[in-house]
Amino acid sequence: MQNQTKTFKIVCTIIIIAFMLIMIFPFVWILVTSFKPSTEIYGPTAFQIIANNPTGANYTTVIDKGILNSIKNSFIVSVITTLYVVAVSTLCSYILARCHFKGKKLLMAGILAVSMFPQMIVVGPIFNMFYKLNLLNSYWVCLAYSSITLPAATWIMVAHFKKIPIALEEAAHIDGCNAWQTLWKVIFPIALPGVFTCAIMTFISAWNEYLLTYTLNADKAFQTVPVGINALRTQFAILWGEITAATIVVVIPTLIIVLLFQKQIVSGMTSGAVKE
Amino acid sequence: MKKIMAVLLAIMMVLTLGACGSNNESAPQEEAAPTEKIVIKFAAQGDSTPATQQSIDDFNASQDKYEVVWEDMSNDSGAMKDALKTSLSAGSSDYDVISMDVCWAGEFAAAGYITPIDEMLQAAGLKISDFNAGSMAAATYNAKTYALPFFPDLGVLFFRKDIVSEEDAAKLVAGDYTWADLQAMAETYKGQGDTTEGYLFQAKQGECLVCNAAEFTAGWTDIEGGLVAFKALTDSEGTPADILNYAEGETEKFMTGAAVFARNWPYMKGCETTLTDDQIGYAPLPGGSCVGGWLLGINKNSANPEGAFEFLKYLATEGQVVQATVGTHLPGYNAALENADVLGANAMLTDAGFQKALATTVSRPVSSAYGEASDAIQINVHAYLAGDAELADTVAAVEAALAK
Amino acid sequence: MKKRITFTQALFLLPLLILLGIFAVYPIVTSAVYSLFDYRTNDQTVAGLYTSNKFNAPLFVEDCGYITWYLGDDVTLLEGEDKQKAEQIIAEIDEIAAPYKEVNEVVSIDGDISQNVVDKMTSYQEELKAIYTKNSDKQFYNGYEKLELLFNEVYGCKISSNFTGLSAYVQVLKDTRFGDSLKTTLIFTFISVFFEFILGLGLALIMNKAMKGIGAVRTISLIPWAIPTAVSALMWSYMYDGSSGIIAKIFADIGLISAPEAMLLTGSGAMTAAILADVWKTTPYMALLLLAGLQTIDTGLYESASIDGAGPITTFFKITLPLLKPSILVALLFRTLDAFRVYDLIAVLTGGAQGTETLSIYAYKLMIGQSNYGYGSVVVLAMAICVGIIAFIFVKVLGAELLSDD
Repeated sequence: MQNQTKTFKIVCTIIIIAFMLIMIFPFVWILVTSFKPSTEIYGPTAFQIIANNPTGANYTTVIDKGILNSIKNSFIVSVITTLYVVAVSTLCSYILARCHFKGKKLLMAGILAVSMFPQMIVVGPIFNMFYKLNLLNSYWVCLAYSSITLPAATWIMVAHFKKIPIALEEAAHIDGCNAWQTLWKVIFPIALPGVFTCAIMTFISAWNEYLLTYTLNADKAFQTVPVGINALRTQFAILWGEITAATIVVVIPTLIIVLLFQKQIVSGMTSGAVKE
Repeated sequence: MKKIMAVLLAIMMVLTLGACGSNNESAPQEEAAPTEKIVIKFAAQGDSTPATQQSIDDFNASQDKYEVVWEDMSNDSGAMKDALKTSLSAGSSDYDVISMDVCWAGEFAAAGYITPIDEMLQAAGLKISDFNAGSMAAATYNAKTYALPFFPDLGVLFFRKDIVSEEDAAKLVAGDYTWADLQAMAETYKGQGDTTEGYLFQAKQGECLVCNAAEFTAGWTDIEGGLVAFKALTDSEGTPADILNYAEGETEKFMTGAAVFARNWPYMKGCETTLTDDQIGYAPLPGGSCVGGWLLGINKNSANPEGAFEFLKYLATEGQVVQATVGTHLPGYNAALENADVLGANAMLTDAGFQKALATTVSRPVSSAYGEASDAIQINVHAYLAGDAELADTVAAVEAALAK
Repeated sequence: MKKRITFTQALFLLPLLILLGIFAVYPIVTSAVYSLFDYRTNDQTVAGLYTSNKFNAPLFVEDCGYITWYLGDDVTLLEGEDKQKAEQIIAEIDEIAAPYKEVNEVVSIDGDISQNVVDKMTSYQEELKAIYTKNSDKQFYNGYEKLELLFNEVYGCKISSNFTGLSAYVQVLKDTRFGDSLKTTLIFTFISVFFEFILGLGLALIMNKAMKGIGAVRTISLIPWAIPTAVSALMWSYMYDGSSGIIAKIFADIGLISAPEAMLLTGSGAMTAAILADVWKTTPYMALLLLAGLQTIDTGLYESASIDGAGPITTFFKITLPLLKPSILVALLFRTLDAFRVYDLIAVLTGGAQGTETLSIYAYKLMIGQSNYGYGSVVVLAMAICVGIIAFIFVKVLGAELLSDD
């Protein structure tokens, strides 16, 4: 029995290690390639781990091509989106979690349906709207992100509010707080971990957004990371050296975010999916 | 929690500052002293040479009425086209002068996105025949001229002078050979001079496949024969096994000595290379050279069509010398082909094989539904080359696509 | 005890309703309207939503200008009666075009008036054709071919209603390309979600056994999920490359594919490539979802099962799986819908070549690539209906609980 458990543990460890290696491998390979000069990426040296003539040129080129500006844009856009989406979803989720009203189920189903709609459908009409309001090529694109981030954020927040005991509010109500005060002074501080989870999930989906920025912000000065990297594919060639270098530059902030916030992320992923 | 927030904030600020620091070059433009100049916005992709910027600077310095501003578009042509189409179909005046791939012009013209320029050309004393014929054919839709060449491009056969026999080289340069001859040569010479492949061309499902198909079918005049030759070369020992996945980027291997023959655009000459100039020869392709490159048109909704035309005219005529000497483009203005500086800057222009290629061009269909036609050609021809479709069906499908 | 909503509380919902109204409901309704029209922005005869007769005045004026200009050049070579006739036509065309000179947009017009204009132009074209044929010995500057193209464009200025109602929805049922891409999408969705689920469940079970270093595993799992799909797809397309892709080479070396280039070149290879990249990116997500579900199962249940002498397999099927069912269903639903809408990954890897064209790719090619907003909207809405059916199956047939309200 003792032996069996031990074997089992070893097998599990091996599986986990293999899994981690598979997960990491692409990044390692991209890192390796990013230091190769373009002549070594193709041909017999393509599968060599250490470049014959390692170079940082790919990194300097992508930095010259404004990858840092793209990262800056991604940060600005993601932070603005996070701030307003968290505010809006906190407000409405509180009501959705606490109150009964006609059509609530319909509203919830509607929110879910919006999050399931093919995203392509919103692009054309939103472009025309932004054009008429003269908002193209600006950070106003954040508002358009609400169609993808808001339903999920609301979903997460509703799940979190439901976990907070209702007795607290009743006490606040007796103390003479109105709805607004109850939300901000009593519920919000308790729900803070949930709010934070919602924020990080929103941040990441805004960080990953591609189609809307690509369409609404054609100007290079406003392009975000996913659009910027894909622009390295030129008319005739895919510049693998530069793409791999840019990928590494982009993975670093992602890695930092994941390292710092992994608990909140996991909690966000599972909100609404797991009944506790 | 506060700690985490503080760390996040710090990281963001560092990144933001770093990014701002690197972005200094673009900032001063906006801070330039206020002027009364009318701003003309020019939508074009980034240029790996300083040519485009210099042309703009030269134009801005040459007169004091207009100030051209470069709207930097995505280097991914598909992305740029999508961005332009979305903007133009909304009736936007965001761009005044628009650079476009030759195969977009018919579609943009039919959609009413760009304005015909015949009257302005006449008033400026310019004739259609002053410009590259292949480009101008692509710029004409329903008997109206919509654009001038920004820079023309054409498919050329690159070959290794040091491997190919003099006799064969003479045939190639004179254009006195068929696809079958090329196939035979590719099979014969493959492996010589440390090469691993005979002939490289583009058969990947994409726009490049349409260009190659135009050349194989001699400008769509012999679709059946062209497709048979195309497939024979694809299946030949003289071409790579994965030729069906070759686009221009893969073809650049030629410059590192991997192949004896390659079909590509002249830009390949400027790629990193292990070959010397003496080793590379140029020749026309058996079915003619497919015209590519870019055109310049004017947004129909431009607020300043006169200013836009002034700049367009400058860039398409005088600017062509800069494009050819500072940049590495072929000039689209015929007079520039006689300019000594231009001829001195680009050895290709005086090469007999290249001149022959310039003289025998074929084009892709000029159509209002070009995207659809191109899509259909790509899918059907690629399926045929891969052995998934019959010849007769493919010919019918290509003919149907051309009729769109 | 739940409360009824007050007015102030209802206000809290307002920002959400406004944002979703503007950025989700409005675009969806707009697209639904588009789907009722033959709306293509690259063809001026159907570049708007027209329910009545219209007239493209600017184009008409432009074309008349060209016709009279080209004809004016050629007229100088004509003589006698022909010259007179041609000059008269020029004058008459100028006269017809005159009222529209100041009109800068497509205008509503009575159908009879525009038909009258077209009839007149048709008769001019016929007369001119006769004149040109008669004088075919002359070297004209422009010639009849150019005029013919312009006349044909003029006829397109008369715009009639492009309202097609629901007929495009019938068309989509007969569209083989739609059928093919639906099949491709379903294959992609089914296989990738299947593997993600099996691998994810296995990993979750292992991680649930309270391993050391679970934090590290979790961090590493999250990275593929957190980087943009557009970026990870590019990474994979590099590794699948026929001549320098490491994965393609490894697969060829161990004999999974015939040659490295077969990876993105053959139908099965390209589909495998897309599925593999998707599984890589989302298995960790699935594993973490299921792990969270596993952690809510009372460990006491396992203890009593082991006292009753149940083996690990019995325990798994009798306890773990039934209790995990709600988490599994929700996880599967979310993943199925995501996989069904796959766009970035396929667009970057193959662009839809080699039979990997999914519904999203097809819709994008129609709407943006071919500017066919009408039919493109139909495809997207058909796709939304499929999404609805999938959600319905999960919720009503399998019993996934999404809208629990307790």
